[in-house]
Amino acid sequence: MVIAVTLIVSFAIRLTGDPAVMLAQGAGSITEADLERIREALGLNQSFLAQYIGFLRGLVVGDFGRSFMGGTPVSDLIGRALPATLALAFASLFVSIVVSIPLGIKAAVSRGRWPDQMIRIFSLIGLSFPNFWLAIMLVLLLSITFNLLPPSGMEGFSSFIMPAATMGIILTATNVRLVRTTMLDTLRSQYIMVARAKGLSNTVVLYKHALRNCSIPLITYFGLQFGGLLGGIVVVERVFNWPGLGTLAFEAVSARDYPVLQGVITVLSLMIISINLLVDIAYGLVDPRVRKE
Amino acid sequence: MKKNKRVLNGAIAGMALSVALSASAQAGSLTIASPQDPGSWDPIDTFLVNWASVATNIFDGLTYRGPDLELVPGLATEWEELDDGTRIRFTLREGVTFHNGEPFNAEAVKFTFDRLLGEEGGQGPQRSNYTAIESVEVIDDYTVDFHLNEPDPVLLTKLAGYGAMIVPPEYLTEYGDEHFNTHPVGTGPFKVVEYNPREDVQLEAFADHWGGAPKLDEVTYRFISEPSTAVAELQAGRVDIVIPPTIPIGMIDTINNHDGASIVSVASPTVEAIRFNTQSGITADERVRKAMIMAVDRQAIIDSILAGEGEMIASFQGAQSFGNDPDMEPLPYDPQQARELLDEAGVEQGATVQIDVRGNDATFGEVAQVVASYLQGVGITASIQPYETNVLLNDIIPAGRTGEMFQQKWGGWTFDFDNTAYLMYHTGERWNPYDSDAELDEMLEAQRSITDQEERETLLQAIAQYTQDRALEMPLYSINALYGVSDRVENFEPAPDNRMRLTNVDVSE
Repeated sequence: MVIAVTLIVSFAIRLTGDPAVMLAQGAGSITEADLERIREALGLNQSFLAQYIGFLRGLVVGDFGRSFMGGTPVSDLIGRALPATLALAFASLFVSIVVSIPLGIKAAVSRGRWPDQMIRIFSLIGLSFPNFWLAIMLVLLLSITFNLLPPSGMEGFSSFIMPAATMGIILTATNVRLVRTTMLDTLRSQYIMVARAKGLSNTVVLYKHALRNCSIPLITYFGLQFGGLLGGIVVVERVFNWPGLGTLAFEAVSARDYPVLQGVITVLSLMIISINLLVDIAYGLVDPRVRKE
Repeated sequence: MKKNKRVLNGAIAGMALSVALSASAQAGSLTIASPQDPGSWDPIDTFLVNWASVATNIFDGLTYRGPDLELVPGLATEWEELDDGTRIRFTLREGVTFHNGEPFNAEAVKFTFDRLLGEEGGQGPQRSNYTAIESVEVIDDYTVDFHLNEPDPVLLTKLAGYGAMIVPPEYLTEYGDEHFNTHPVGTGPFKVVEYNPREDVQLEAFADHWGGAPKLDEVTYRFISEPSTAVAELQAGRVDIVIPPTIPIGMIDTINNHDGASIVSVASPTVEAIRFNTQSGITADERVRKAMIMAVDRQAIIDSILAGEGEMIASFQGAQSFGNDPDMEPLPYDPQQARELLDEAGVEQGATVQIDVRGNDATFGEVAQVVASYLQGVGITASIQPYETNVLLNDIIPAGRTGEMFQQKWGGWTFDFDNTAYLMYHTGERWNPYDSDAELDEMLEAQRSITDQEERETLLQAIAQYTQDRALEMPLYSINALYGVSDRVENFEPAPDNRMRLTNVDVSE
């Protein structure tokens, strides 16, 4: 899969423009011979296949090559950006889980009554926000009007609040609905009736018996969501100037920086594969039946 | 015990850090938002204006050109043109050291240019600018001779920037090129203390600079590519200056209406024109081209869409450009005469043309719309074709696959019409896919070998006039460079070419 993705990306970006010309932009009297020299230095005079095989060779030993912009090793750039993106992704997912589970359960329990209606309306509003708009509104309000939070950058906890909230709110909107539907199904099950009949308190029934049984579809969904989250983060990272993979990829595309883009895509594909693996492992943790098989 | 020691070290470091931080708060630190990280600080590696805006504080050239665009001594105190302009003798400044303590001398100059013109320089985009230099000869410790293949009338200007920045030989030999990319050392008023790729670069004052110690202690350039984010940081007071090209026209009011910051603008070298396919289609006819220019009220475009942050141009250069003739008037806005010219050329009502534009350039998108509606007024239907910028620049224009008209944005830090004119009008040049004019070629070649600057200026002005007579493009305007500047910044002088040296800039608390 990694090979398929990187092959497509490497091929596609090479159709979009010549990095040598990008580098030389503004250079007055650049000649074709100058461009040829630059291409040779970047290794662009080789055939696409040769370039791609070179990339795969490097990949095997963990060498992603060097950025066309200044020759920084791509692994260094990714090494800086990956933790930033992961931290933001987990923070967003955390926000969304912490908010959506109680709200979803509340909605399911009070099905059809006003708390349910309110939660569903809020979820609809949340779903309708474009994330960049929400991000800009948060910056206007919290950074410029009230000067409470830094508008961009990554400088400790306060920097996390707005980007994580932006991503979190949008994820929550979907997740609340999912939790609500799954919960409604579960609450109809016989074992819930049994649990209630045993005289267990409402909280124990909901959070111990029902939630655990809901968790398989939820984990599947959150896992899938993580992949989508890494995609959506590109926009949010840009608004908040977050030094992560999204910003890195965006700038690499603008500058036709092939090695950086290939590196970022490879890392993202690897991450999505490992998340799916983790999801499978998590099934076993929450569901003893899976473990036994 | 070992662990304790580490804790202790940490505590001491923490204390030192807090002391350093409080000290810096007293003596002035400035934060600048720059839209792009060049990736390498080595002068021969890039040609990005945002490299130059930082690097002009790290490095010096033999000559120096400040915001007033006057060429003054830099690391060379004087120079003399010899042998009909094929040899230039520079007398070097004495007592100058690099940030690492290495002395500056003739050897450093020779090393810099040997490197630029050698193999290392060949891998970057800078060498092509300095190919007039054949070799650099050391006469004594503080005298060098530049031997030229041919006279280059713009060379002294080129020595004030970009690839001609003087680098330290011992440092480079010891640590290598790769280390130098991220740990640059020069003789400039600030030295690099920390560089975090794609995040920021931090500079510290170099008190021993030959031009006097900077007033600021620290400068941080943060790389913020999204304009609204950079402006938000300025409004939040966390960034003091947002440098061009960042702020779009639409945000001028946002900043000016905000307490604590304002826009400072200055005429920049960037000019825009809509160029014509002079080979085929209705634009092959000179009368049609003139008619189209006269049909468009360019001043109205500047006033409405550019919010006045631009100036009308008569040829494809701004007012500061060497070769611009202040007495040359743009073709007038005269739709009546435009219609007559079109009739004379036999163009029928409803004739169509296509204008190719850069798709991501929102401001120009509006400009093109307005141009199209003016053309509609004289009976020409213009369609606008947006392309991804790189596709337009790399594939469409050089291959001569544009519509009848196409957007051309052009800048050049040398402020000399030679660079623009030669590349735009000389037969066979990349940016000139359609036209071939022997008379123009001859003039363009002639001005390159003239060292007498007055004579050259006259010739460049004649070239400008010639392009207007043939109506080779529709010159629109030169654009101002927009700086967003916090009120706490003092002695700020906007640099037209974005190369802003911060020696005299200060901040108030």
